[in-house]
Amino acid sequence: MNISSPSSNSQDFELNLASIIDCLTVLITFLLASASFISIGILDAGVAAAGVEASSVKPPPVNVAIEIKKDKSFRVKVTGKESRTVTVDGNKEQLQKELQAIKGRWSSLNAVTVLADSDIEYQDVVQTMEAARKVLPAVLLGGF
Amino acid sequence: MRPSFLKKKPVQNEEMSLQITSMADIFIIILVFLLKSYSTGAINLTPAKGMLIPEANAAGAAVEALKLEVSETAIQIEGQPIANLEQFRFKANDLQGNGTSKALTAALEKERKRQLLIAKSNSEVKVDPKIIVVADKRAPYSTVKAVLASAAVNSYTDFKLAVIKGD
Repeated sequence: MNISSPSSNSQDFELNLASIIDCLTVLITFLLASASFISIGILDAGVAAAGVEASSVKPPPVNVAIEIKKDKSFRVKVTGKESRTVTVDGNKEQLQKELQAIKGRWSSLNAVTVLADSDIEYQDVVQTMEAARKVLPAVLLGGF
Repeated sequence: MRPSFLKKKPVQNEEMSLQITSMADIFIIILVFLLKSYSTGAINLTPAKGMLIPEANAAGAAVEALKLEVSETAIQIEGQPIANLEQFRFKANDLQGNGTSKALTAALEKERKRQLLIAKSNSEVKVDPKIIVVADKRAPYSTVKAVLASAAVNSYTDFKLAVIKGD
Protein backbone atom coordinates (compact mmCIF):
# COMPACT_ATOMS: atom_id res chain seq x y z
CA MET A 1 0.00 0.00 0.00
CA ASN A 2 1.48 3.31 -1.01
CA ILE A 3 0.55 5.88 1.55
CA SER A 4 1.73 9.41 1.09
CA SER A 5 4.15 10.79 3.64
CA PRO A 6 2.52 11.18 7.05
CA SER A 7 3.94 14.65 7.43
CA SER A 8 1.69 15.98 4.71
CA ASN A 9 -1.46 14.50 6.39
CA SER A 10 -2.94 13.99 2.96
CA GLN A 11 -6.04 11.84 2.58
CA ASP A 12 -5.05 10.72 -0.91
CA PHE A 13 -3.53 7.30 -1.06
CA GLU A 14 -3.40 4.59 -3.69
CA LEU A 15 -4.39 1.06 -2.74
CA ASN A 16 -2.20 -1.62 -4.31
CA LEU A 17 -4.76 -4.03 -5.71
CA ALA A 18 -2.29 -6.42 -7.32
CA SER A 19 -1.98 -8.68 -4.26
CA ILE A 20 -5.76 -8.69 -3.76
CA ILE A 21 -6.22 -9.70 -7.40
CA ASP A 22 -3.73 -12.53 -6.83
CA CYS A 23 -5.78 -13.83 -3.88
CA LEU A 24 -9.04 -13.54 -5.83
CA THR A 25 -7.56 -15.39 -8.81
CA VAL A 26 -6.43 -18.27 -6.59
CA LEU A 27 -9.84 -18.43 -4.85
CA ILE A 28 -11.78 -18.33 -8.14
CA THR A 29 -9.59 -21.04 -9.67
CA PHE A 30 -10.10 -23.26 -6.62
CA LEU A 31 -13.87 -22.71 -6.59
CA LEU A 32 -14.19 -23.31 -10.34
CA ALA A 33 -12.22 -26.53 -10.05
CA SER A 34 -14.24 -27.86 -7.13
CA ALA A 35 -17.69 -26.49 -7.96
CA SER A 36 -20.47 -28.85 -8.92
CA PHE A 37 -23.06 -27.17 -11.05
CA ILE A 38 -25.67 -29.88 -10.56
CA SER A 39 -27.17 -30.22 -7.15
CA ILE A 40 -27.96 -33.78 -6.06
CA GLY A 41 -30.86 -34.27 -3.70
CA ILE A 42 -32.23 -37.25 -1.83
CA LEU A 43 -35.72 -38.65 -2.13
CA ASP A 44 -36.63 -40.83 0.85
CA ALA A 45 -38.38 -44.08 0.13
CA GLY A 46 -39.19 -47.03 2.30
CA VAL A 47 -40.01 -50.55 1.32
CA ALA A 48 -43.52 -51.93 1.51
CA ALA A 49 -42.53 -55.33 2.82
CA ALA A 50 -42.43 -57.19 6.09
CA GLY A 51 -39.79 -55.98 8.52
CA VAL A 52 -37.57 -58.03 10.80
CA GLU A 53 -39.53 -57.06 13.90
CA ALA A 54 -43.22 -56.34 14.30
CA SER A 55 -43.92 -52.62 14.56
CA SER A 56 -45.61 -51.36 17.71
CA VAL A 57 -47.13 -48.40 15.85
CA LYS A 58 -50.89 -48.60 15.37
CA PRO A 59 -51.62 -49.42 11.73
CA PRO A 60 -53.53 -46.78 9.74
CA PRO A 61 -57.28 -47.32 9.18
CA VAL A 62 -56.76 -47.48 5.42
CA ASN A 63 -53.91 -48.37 3.10
CA VAL A 64 -53.44 -46.41 -0.10
CA ALA A 65 -51.56 -47.77 -3.11
CA ILE A 66 -50.86 -45.98 -6.39
CA GLU A 67 -50.32 -48.28 -9.34
CA ILE A 68 -48.69 -46.78 -12.43
CA LYS A 69 -50.07 -48.57 -15.45
CA LYS A 70 -48.43 -49.13 -18.84
CA ASP A 71 -50.36 -46.22 -20.38
CA LYS A 72 -49.01 -44.05 -17.51
CA SER A 73 -52.43 -43.72 -15.91
CA PHE A 74 -52.74 -44.17 -12.15
CA ARG A 75 -54.94 -46.57 -10.24
CA VAL A 76 -55.46 -45.41 -6.68
CA LYS A 77 -56.46 -48.36 -4.54
CA VAL A 78 -57.81 -47.83 -1.03
CA THR A 79 -58.08 -50.88 1.22
CA GLY A 80 -58.97 -51.37 4.89
CA LYS A 81 -61.93 -49.57 6.45
CA GLU A 82 -62.68 -48.04 3.05
CA SER A 83 -62.47 -50.09 -0.08
CA ARG A 84 -62.47 -48.40 -3.46
CA THR A 85 -60.42 -48.08 -6.61
CA VAL A 86 -60.15 -44.91 -8.69
CA THR A 87 -58.45 -44.58 -12.06
CA VAL A 88 -56.77 -41.26 -12.81
CA ASP A 89 -55.30 -40.40 -16.21
CA GLY A 90 -51.62 -39.38 -16.31
CA ASN A 91 -52.38 -36.00 -14.72
CA LYS A 92 -50.37 -35.63 -11.48
CA GLU A 93 -52.49 -32.73 -10.20
CA GLN A 94 -55.59 -34.91 -10.49
CA LEU A 95 -53.74 -37.63 -8.59
CA GLN A 96 -52.88 -35.15 -5.83
CA LYS A 97 -56.52 -34.05 -5.63
CA GLU A 98 -57.59 -37.67 -5.26
CA LEU A 99 -55.02 -38.25 -2.51
CA GLN A 100 -56.10 -35.04 -0.76
CA ALA A 101 -59.69 -36.27 -0.79
CA ILE A 102 -58.61 -39.55 0.83
CA LYS A 103 -56.46 -37.67 3.34
CA GLY A 104 -59.48 -35.46 4.13
CA ARG A 105 -61.52 -38.54 5.03
CA TRP A 106 -58.71 -40.26 6.97
CA SER A 107 -56.61 -37.58 8.67
CA SER A 108 -54.30 -40.07 10.42
CA LEU A 109 -53.18 -41.44 7.06
CA ASN A 110 -49.65 -40.37 6.11
CA ALA A 111 -48.22 -43.16 3.97
CA VAL A 112 -48.73 -44.30 0.42
CA THR A 113 -47.30 -47.22 -1.53
CA VAL A 114 -46.20 -46.71 -5.12
CA LEU A 115 -46.24 -49.67 -7.49
CA ALA A 116 -45.53 -49.72 -11.20
CA ASP A 117 -45.67 -52.01 -14.19
CA SER A 118 -42.35 -53.59 -15.13
CA ASP A 119 -41.80 -51.42 -18.22
CA ILE A 120 -42.48 -48.10 -16.52
CA GLU A 121 -39.38 -45.92 -16.48
CA TYR A 122 -37.75 -44.97 -13.18
CA GLN A 123 -38.27 -41.27 -13.98
CA ASP A 124 -42.06 -41.77 -13.97
CA VAL A 125 -41.87 -43.58 -10.64
CA VAL A 126 -39.80 -40.76 -9.11
CA GLN A 127 -42.18 -38.10 -10.42
CA THR A 128 -45.18 -39.98 -9.05
CA MET A 129 -43.43 -40.32 -5.67
CA GLU A 130 -42.72 -36.60 -5.71
CA ALA A 131 -46.37 -35.78 -6.45
CA ALA A 132 -47.61 -38.16 -3.74
CA ARG A 133 -45.16 -36.81 -1.15
CA LYS A 134 -46.80 -33.39 -1.32
CA VAL A 135 -49.96 -34.91 0.19
CA LEU A 136 -48.74 -38.00 2.04
CA PRO A 137 -45.17 -37.54 3.31
CA ALA A 138 -44.19 -41.22 3.70
CA VAL A 139 -43.79 -42.93 0.34
CA LEU A 140 -43.07 -46.64 0.13
CA LEU A 141 -42.06 -48.58 -2.94
CA GLY A 142 -43.85 -51.83 -3.49
CA GLY A 143 -44.42 -54.58 -5.98
CA PHE A 144 -41.74 -56.98 -4.78
CA MET B 1 7.32 17.62 -48.17
CA ARG B 2 8.66 15.05 -45.74
CA PRO B 3 6.71 11.82 -45.33
CA SER B 4 4.76 11.53 -42.13
CA PHE B 5 6.47 8.35 -40.97
CA LEU B 6 9.65 10.24 -40.48
CA LYS B 7 8.01 12.43 -37.92
CA LYS B 8 9.45 12.07 -34.49
CA LYS B 9 7.28 9.88 -32.30
CA PRO B 10 6.13 11.38 -29.01
CA VAL B 11 8.07 10.13 -26.04
CA GLN B 12 6.04 7.49 -24.20
CA ASN B 13 5.89 7.43 -20.49
CA GLU B 14 7.80 4.36 -19.29
CA GLU B 15 5.78 4.09 -16.08
CA MET B 16 2.46 2.66 -17.17
CA SER B 17 0.01 1.85 -14.43
CA LEU B 18 -2.70 -0.66 -15.14
CA GLN B 19 -6.17 0.30 -13.97
CA ILE B 20 -7.19 -2.85 -12.09
CA THR B 21 -10.01 -1.52 -9.94
CA SER B 22 -12.69 -2.63 -12.41
CA MET B 23 -10.96 -6.00 -12.74
CA ALA B 24 -11.09 -6.43 -8.96
CA ASP B 25 -14.82 -5.60 -9.08
CA ILE B 26 -15.42 -8.32 -11.68
CA PHE B 27 -13.40 -10.84 -9.70
CA ILE B 28 -15.38 -10.10 -6.54
CA ILE B 29 -18.68 -10.62 -8.40
CA ILE B 30 -17.45 -13.96 -9.80
CA LEU B 31 -16.23 -14.97 -6.34
CA VAL B 32 -19.57 -14.14 -4.71
CA PHE B 33 -21.44 -16.11 -7.40
CA LEU B 34 -19.18 -19.14 -7.00
CA LEU B 35 -19.38 -19.06 -3.21
CA LYS B 36 -23.18 -18.89 -3.45
CA SER B 37 -23.39 -21.88 -5.79
CA TYR B 38 -20.74 -23.86 -3.94
CA SER B 39 -22.43 -26.91 -2.52
CA THR B 40 -21.08 -28.35 0.69
CA GLY B 41 -23.42 -31.34 0.93
CA ALA B 42 -22.29 -34.60 2.44
CA ILE B 43 -23.07 -36.57 -0.71
CA ASN B 44 -20.13 -37.18 -2.95
CA LEU B 45 -21.51 -38.76 -6.10
CA THR B 46 -19.75 -39.27 -9.38
CA PRO B 47 -22.27 -40.92 -11.71
CA ALA B 48 -21.02 -42.94 -14.69
CA LYS B 49 -20.59 -41.22 -18.03
CA GLY B 50 -23.82 -40.95 -20.02
CA MET B 51 -25.98 -41.58 -17.00
CA LEU B 52 -29.17 -39.54 -16.67
CA ILE B 53 -30.34 -39.04 -13.11
CA PRO B 54 -34.06 -38.25 -12.67
CA GLU B 55 -35.13 -34.76 -11.61
CA ALA B 56 -37.27 -34.02 -8.57
CA ASN B 57 -37.73 -31.36 -5.93
CA ALA B 58 -36.18 -33.37 -3.15
CA ALA B 59 -35.87 -31.87 0.30
CA GLY B 60 -34.23 -34.84 2.01
CA ALA B 61 -31.09 -34.22 4.02
CA ALA B 62 -27.79 -35.35 2.58
CA VAL B 63 -26.57 -38.58 4.12
CA GLU B 64 -23.57 -40.81 3.90
CA ALA B 65 -24.41 -44.44 3.10
CA LEU B 66 -23.58 -47.32 0.80
CA LYS B 67 -23.87 -46.16 -2.82
CA LEU B 68 -25.48 -48.38 -5.40
CA GLU B 69 -25.48 -47.25 -9.02
CA VAL B 70 -27.73 -48.59 -11.81
CA SER B 71 -26.51 -47.63 -15.28
CA GLU B 72 -27.31 -48.97 -18.75
CA THR B 73 -24.65 -51.68 -18.65
CA ALA B 74 -23.85 -52.44 -15.03
CA ILE B 75 -24.70 -52.32 -11.38
CA GLN B 76 -21.98 -50.83 -9.22
CA ILE B 77 -21.52 -50.71 -5.46
CA GLU B 78 -19.18 -47.94 -4.30
CA GLY B 79 -17.79 -47.76 -7.85
CA GLN B 80 -17.07 -51.49 -8.09
CA PRO B 81 -18.92 -53.33 -10.90
CA ILE B 82 -21.07 -56.11 -9.46
CA ALA B 83 -23.47 -57.29 -12.17
CA ASN B 84 -23.76 -56.72 -15.89
CA LEU B 85 -26.93 -55.37 -17.45
CA GLU B 86 -28.15 -55.48 -21.03
CA GLN B 87 -30.12 -52.38 -21.96
CA PHE B 88 -30.85 -51.71 -18.27
CA ARG B 89 -32.06 -55.28 -17.74
CA PHE B 90 -30.58 -58.12 -15.71
CA LYS B 91 -29.50 -61.25 -17.55
CA ALA B 92 -32.08 -64.01 -17.18
CA ASN B 93 -29.60 -66.36 -15.45
CA ASP B 94 -28.82 -63.70 -12.81
CA LEU B 95 -32.41 -63.35 -11.61
CA GLN B 96 -33.73 -65.59 -8.87
CA GLY B 97 -37.25 -66.77 -8.15
CA ASN B 98 -37.88 -64.10 -5.50
CA GLY B 99 -37.04 -61.34 -7.99
CA THR B 100 -33.57 -60.60 -6.64
CA SER B 101 -30.26 -60.65 -8.49
CA LYS B 102 -27.79 -63.39 -7.52
CA ALA B 103 -24.66 -61.30 -7.98
CA LEU B 104 -26.09 -58.21 -6.33
CA THR B 105 -27.50 -60.13 -3.36
CA ALA B 106 -24.12 -61.80 -2.82
CA ALA B 107 -22.30 -58.45 -2.97
CA LEU B 108 -24.75 -56.76 -0.60
CA GLU B 109 -24.55 -59.71 1.77
CA LYS B 110 -20.78 -59.31 1.84
CA GLU B 111 -21.15 -55.61 2.61
CA ARG B 112 -23.67 -56.33 5.34
CA LYS B 113 -21.38 -58.96 6.92
CA ARG B 114 -18.53 -56.46 6.88
CA GLN B 115 -20.75 -53.89 8.62
CA LEU B 116 -21.83 -56.44 11.21
CA LEU B 117 -18.23 -57.38 11.89
CA ILE B 118 -17.29 -53.73 12.44
CA ALA B 119 -20.38 -53.19 14.64
CA LYS B 120 -19.44 -56.25 16.70
CA SER B 121 -15.97 -54.97 17.51
CA ASN B 122 -16.95 -51.31 17.85
CA SER B 123 -20.08 -50.55 19.87
CA GLU B 124 -20.25 -46.99 18.48
CA VAL B 125 -20.84 -48.29 14.96
CA LYS B 126 -24.42 -49.26 14.23
CA VAL B 127 -25.68 -51.42 11.39
CA ASP B 128 -27.07 -48.97 8.85
CA PRO B 129 -30.27 -49.74 6.89
CA LYS B 130 -29.66 -46.77 4.58
CA ILE B 131 -28.60 -47.22 0.97
CA ILE B 132 -28.23 -44.50 -1.68
CA VAL B 133 -29.63 -45.66 -5.03
CA VAL B 134 -28.36 -43.74 -8.05
CA ALA B 135 -30.34 -45.07 -11.00
CA ASP B 136 -30.64 -43.92 -14.60
CA LYS B 137 -34.02 -42.35 -15.30
CA ARG B 138 -34.51 -44.64 -18.32
CA ALA B 139 -34.17 -47.81 -16.24
CA PRO B 140 -37.35 -49.90 -16.21
CA TYR B 141 -39.08 -50.43 -12.89
CA SER B 142 -38.45 -54.21 -13.16
CA THR B 143 -34.70 -53.57 -12.82
CA VAL B 144 -35.15 -51.03 -10.02
CA LYS B 145 -37.49 -53.47 -8.30
CA ALA B 146 -34.90 -56.28 -8.50
CA VAL B 147 -32.24 -53.94 -7.10
CA LEU B 148 -34.46 -52.81 -4.23
CA ALA B 149 -35.54 -56.39 -3.48
CA SER B 150 -31.87 -57.50 -3.39
CA ALA B 151 -31.14 -54.67 -0.97
CA ALA B 152 -34.21 -55.35 1.17
CA VAL B 153 -33.34 -59.04 1.70
CA ASN B 154 -30.03 -57.84 3.16
CA SER B 155 -31.82 -55.42 5.55
CA TYR B 156 -31.11 -52.30 3.48
CA THR B 157 -34.65 -50.97 3.73
CA ASP B 158 -34.16 -47.22 4.01
CA PHE B 159 -33.77 -46.23 0.37
CA LYS B 160 -32.33 -42.86 -0.47
CA LEU B 161 -33.00 -42.19 -4.13
CA ALA B 162 -30.51 -39.76 -5.65
CA VAL B 163 -32.16 -37.14 -7.85
CA ILE B 164 -31.16 -33.88 -9.46
CA LYS B 165 -32.83 -31.02 -7.65
CA GLY B 166 -35.32 -29.40 -10.00
CA ASP B 167 -35.07 -25.84 -8.67
